[in-house]
Amino acid sequence: MSKIIGAVEIGTSKAKALIGEVAENGTLNVVGMASRPNEGMRKGEIVDFRKAAAAVHSALEDAEKMSGTTVDEVYLAQTGSHLKGQMLRGSASVSSSDNRVDVTDLQRAAEEAKRRKPDDGRTYVHHVRTPILLDGRVVQDPVGMFGSKIDLGYWSIDGDDQAIKQALHVISNYSLEVKDLILSSIASSTMMAGPDLRRAGTLVIDMGAGVTDFALYRQGFVACTGVIPVGGDHVTGDLSMGLRVLEPYAEKLKIEHGKAISDPMDEGEDVWIIGNKTIGDRSIPRKAITDVIHVRIAELFEILSKELEGLLDPDELKGGILLTGGASLLPGVEQIASKILGFNARRASFPTGIDSELAQPENATVLGLLHYGLEDHGLPGRKKEEVETGFLGKFRKIVGLGVQS
Amino acid sequence: MSQDNLFPKETNFSPENEIPGIRAKIIGIGGAGLSLVDGLRFDNFQSVEHLAVDVDSRALADSIAGEKLAFGRRHTRGMGTGGEHTLARKAMEEEKDVIRKKLEGVDLVFLLAGLGGGTGGGAAPVIARLAREAGALVFAFTPLPFSWEKSRHSMAEECLADLRKFANAVIPLPNDSLLQMGGADATALECFAEAGRNVSMGISAICALVFRRGMIDVDFVHLRKAFNRRAGRTLFGYGEGDGEDAIRQAVRELLLCPMLHLPDVSKAADALLILITGGTGMGMAALQQVSTEIREEFKAGEHIVFGAHVDENMGNRVQITVLGATDLEAGIPTADVAPTAKEVIAVLPKSKVAHSSKLAKEKKGSKLKTVPAQPRNKKKDDLDQNTFEFMEAENQRGIFGDLPSRNIYAGEDLDVPAYLRRGVKISI
Ligand SMILES: Nc1nc2c(ncn2[C@@H]2O[C@H](COP(=O)(O)OP(=O)(O)OP(=O)(O)O)[C@@H](O)[C@H]2O)c(=O)[nH]1
Ligand SMILES: Nc1ncnc2c1ncn2[C@@H]1O[C@H](COP(=O)(O)OP(=O)(O)O)[C@@H](O)[C@H]1O
Ligand SMILES: [Mg+2]
Ligand SMILES: [Mg+2]
Repeated sequence: MSKIIGAVEIGTSKAKALIGEVAENGTLNVVGMASRPNEGMRKGEIVDFRKAAAAVHSALEDAEKMSGTTVDEVYLAQTGSHLKGQMLRGSASVSSSDNRVDVTDLQRAAEEAKRRKPDDGRTYVHHVRTPILLDGRVVQDPVGMFGSKIDLGYWSIDGDDQAIKQALHVISNYSLEVKDLILSSIASSTMMAGPDLRRAGTLVIDMGAGVTDFALYRQGFVACTGVIPVGGDHVTGDLSMGLRVLEPYAEKLKIEHGKAISDPMDEGEDVWIIGNKTIGDRSIPRKAITDVIHVRIAELFEILSKELEGLLDPDELKGGILLTGGASLLPGVEQIASKILGFNARRASFPTGIDSELAQPENATVLGLLHYGLEDHGLPGRKKEEVETGFLGKFRKIVGLGVQS
Repeated sequence: MSQDNLFPKETNFSPENEIPGIRAKIIGIGGAGLSLVDGLRFDNFQSVEHLAVDVDSRALADSIAGEKLAFGRRHTRGMGTGGEHTLARKAMEEEKDVIRKKLEGVDLVFLLAGLGGGTGGGAAPVIARLAREAGALVFAFTPLPFSWEKSRHSMAEECLADLRKFANAVIPLPNDSLLQMGGADATALECFAEAGRNVSMGISAICALVFRRGMIDVDFVHLRKAFNRRAGRTLFGYGEGDGEDAIRQAVRELLLCPMLHLPDVSKAADALLILITGGTGMGMAALQQVSTEIREEFKAGEHIVFGAHVDENMGNRVQITVLGATDLEAGIPTADVAPTAKEVIAVLPKSKVAHSSKLAKEKKGSKLKTVPAQPRNKKKDDLDQNTFEFMEAENQRGIFGDLPSRNIYAGEDLDVPAYLRRGVKISI
């Protein structure tokens, strides 16, 4: 029998809902998709619960209508600058007398790694496992191998209780369960950077409306993630102030004429704000538009460069830099990213087989949620379901849905 | 280099028709304050005096202000404070009797001080308080540090908040933004000159209202009534038009005035001063119409000071200046001194209905919903309508102004436009 799963990204510009059908053979089919402008969110955080919830609910409704089914649980993307990541490490000595690694050895190491509690008022949203070392060597699945010591680590992201609670409530108000919280950057990366790229080492940057999410992969594993509270809305805001035009016009100018690097062809050329050349219309030099955008985008990559200082190693970043998210559509962003970060940067493309209507950079996260959710991220030798209950219990506690823990 | 030559001369009026009785004093504090005072030319206002205040005796010696006051000698031995605003504050508190003397009988005080400076930032709030206690109405014009003067920022913000507790209105002049108004590769010096031009515009508008007789007249009592409350954010802008359609043109220019489109500028005013100056041809009907538009634009309530002056030298030109303040009782904790000095109370309107700020109200339900959803399909709307909507939809820190906290990264607020912070000039 096939299974229906859902995914929700509460984006700063739009709330996006996706419904997928997983066939018995494991193939995923997207059967419903909808997005709704979201006015309840700024910079990746909910500032108006009712508006955000209304946007999510109507996106979910439409996606359900389109699919002709209903969902019971969804994967939910998490972003916002309240999220902080850190590497937690744990180790365990192999306990059996014959030095054969058992699942329980891995579990003990994992428990030790996750023992560190987040600060008051904060909750872990995502533990991403990094390579397992058996006596200092990276191994895929040590269970059954011989050795004496297991080391493993989790890139662990914790966030503000209130912010997480709000997001979870948006979903529970629609009578849905959150199957798992997934970091937006990791969801996007799952979609845009295939296993080969992740092994080669790659940096995925999702440039959204309110925030820019990034995830750095090394040897196939997450090495670092982060959220910069700057996105396409900042570009629009800068244009609105710098050109002194209303915000919707600024957004329109950005999308129709925006460039992040100057183009000699534009020298001396003007564009109209509204475009109908009525008395209300005004013309603006293309150069002014580009100048405003350039400073903002260059600054964004400078901040990224600072955040990633010491982590960008040519030997570990053979896959280069991938840009996605709606704001990555600005012409010239790749050049600026390449120049400032010092590695080849390009716009990410979707794997083949994704419907062209869906294969838009702003959908990277929501599509990635389903794909990530389908993958097995548990410890080797452990069933997937087991791993997830631990997480869910915790969310239930935050939302007040139950006492399981 | 002196900045004298960079300022326009105030030749609009002759001293003959000056209204007697009111005394005004322009007080420059610290290096930036002194150079601003020295740049001003208000010789044609007989009742406007100039006072230079500094701890730096050499800077004082170079000033051309009519009156000078050195303070803090005990702490700095005649040198600057080296950016230590606590030092200047302390020194000014210790020597407050001297400055009190200088404030005796003064009705209107203009404070000019760079809040990124130790002397300016430390002493200005103290002087503002003393002036209020002495019963004066206090307007402050305060240059704020460039983004690259990182270490000075938090201090300047602190001093600004302090000053806002006491002055009736504080007009911040962020150096970053002023740089935008200069030529393509404007230097810091030109930026200072721009600050000077703005200060000059602001002060001359207020002085003209108080000291000149006009077509539509106001007096000091009006001004005091309007700005009596403690101000929160302010707005300040101007526009000029020429020729047949001068007045409409001036409104258009006013609404596009860069000073009104800075981060932190209020879009609504609980107290609003409007001054229109034009040649003899200026019509009463057009004036009324324009004043109504401007009031609506800034959502001004009852506290309006509207003056219109005729100046033959203007020819066909028309100049509009606005200066407004929100009354944010809620926002800033009340100071322990009384902005309710007896003299101030005396001119309060009789009905003392609690006045809540429109801005605060607007904030809640504000944002994008006032913005037309489909700009393309809009009816034929004239520029004025557009720009009006613009200002309504806009808020203090650009599109993020409604958010309670700042988006600080390495000492800079990322929600403030990047081009402003990086000093990149945008020509439109
Ligand atoms: N607009 C403008 N800003 C100025 C001027 N001079 C300095 N500044 C700015 O004001 C701040 C420095 O303040 P100063 O006025 O030199 O310092 P001060 O008040 O004399 O204080 P100390 O010398 O530190 O005791 C800096 O942020 C400068 O960018 C000026 O002439 N005009
Ligand atoms: N063609 C385009 N050029 C530039 N920016 C664009 C373009 N299309 C969309 N954007 C911008 O992308 C942002 C939305 O991207 P998205 O990834 O959906 O963000 P979020 O997930 O934060 O809602 C908006 O700021 C929008 O202005
Ligand atoms: Mg997104
Ligand atoms: Mg000095």
